[in-house]
Amino acid sequence: MEPLAAEIRDKVVDEVGKVVVGREKEIDLLLVCLLARGHVLLEGVPGVSKTLVANAFSKCLGLQFKRVQFTPDILPLDIIGGFVFNLKDREFEFRKGPVFTNILLADEINRAPPKVQSALLESMQELQVTVEGHTEKLPFPFMVIATQNPLEFEGVYPLPEGQLDRFMVKVTFKYPTRDVESSILKRNLSRVDLNDVKTVLTLGELEALVKEVERVNVSDEVLAYLARVAEATRTEGSLVLGASPRAMVQLVHCARAKALLGGRKYVTPDDIKSIASDVLTHRLTIDRAAALKGVSRNPEAILTGILDRVEPPR
Amino acid sequence: MVLGALLALNIALYIPLVLAALRRRRHRVAASNLADAFSGLELALKEAVPDLPAGFTWEEAVARLRSSGVRTEGMEGALRGYEEYRYGGVPLPDLDFREVVKVANALGGITSGRGTLGR
Repeated sequence: MEPLAAEIRDKVVDEVGKVVVGREKEIDLLLVCLLARGHVLLEGVPGVSKTLVANAFSKCLGLQFKRVQFTPDILPLDIIGGFVFNLKDREFEFRKGPVFTNILLADEINRAPPKVQSALLESMQELQVTVEGHTEKLPFPFMVIATQNPLEFEGVYPLPEGQLDRFMVKVTFKYPTRDVESSILKRNLSRVDLNDVKTVLTLGELEALVKEVERVNVSDEVLAYLARVAEATRTEGSLVLGASPRAMVQLVHCARAKALLGGRKYVTPDDIKSIASDVLTHRLTIDRAAALKGVSRNPEAILTGILDRVEPPR
Repeated sequence: MVLGALLALNIALYIPLVLAALRRRRHRVAASNLADAFSGLELALKEAVPDLPAGFTWEEAVARLRSSGVRTEGMEGALRGYEEYRYGGVPLPDLDFREVVKVANALGGITSGRGTLGR
């Protein structure tokens, strides 16, 4: 199974790479998150291929993809669905919203009011939707890929900590390097066609991979190491909010997926360290008083310091 | 009388220094199995690369060694087997660990009195 997982990873990166240039790390993270049954927050300025990556990623996995543009006037009903009166049968029936899909792209999630953002909570956490006591299960797999623009301050509702904690990883889409930019320009001289992206995985194979991730071994010593890292984030002076137990659980799942994609059936401290920043930094809150005194750095630098201090099992 | 006193003073001054130097003398790493070899390498690394952060992993250590010009290709198979034992819960494999010991000794070995090698 291990070589198969590593092979699939390469195929996914290659297929998405047919339409998107220079986003291997981001594609890798999307796959890790999907296998770990998590949700992703993509952050980046407009035009850095966030939507295209999400779309091509769904296509190469043969998954159903829906996109919802979040706006200030959007309603929970527009996402999860609701009861409508069927004139023919003369009774109310549940009409499923766009959340009933495999991959939901919640575009510009921070433009919607908190009520709508929280409407996604149950679906993200419980993988189901409840409206007026009626519960519907979401299909397998289900992953929310939400996007947000970090530069907007007007007319946006920043995601509260509780909502941020639901996202397994935050992937930052930075501007491409000069070489990658040249390749993007070259690629776009002719029309980029999503139909070029082939499906490389069946639903059954994906399901098997997800189950395989759950069988990846995490030794007691690695778990103890994770607990020490968690404790260090909570006692770090320049942070007011460290990693939650949910964050650490998600970090383990991600590390397992990472290990499997690396061709191993066990998690190493390297797996933890390589993905810790993507899983944890969006959940860490810097102490503003320390920041004002110039003591604090960014959460990523603080986390790097913690990982440099905490001794892993060797 | 004065000479005798000076001699005694010199002995009193230098004996602790000589003893400390002997105690700090670096020894070659010797190992009887894969786990011993990696314990020796860990100690040798900590001594030879004092700026290596406490949270270093094997992958980071190997990368650091490689960037310093130490040849590590020969020990990569052993590292994989050792990691499988440490984190994968499999029995200690019977792999050739001579390359690991070689790298540890290339780093200067370990100082005596730093504890035993085995886990």
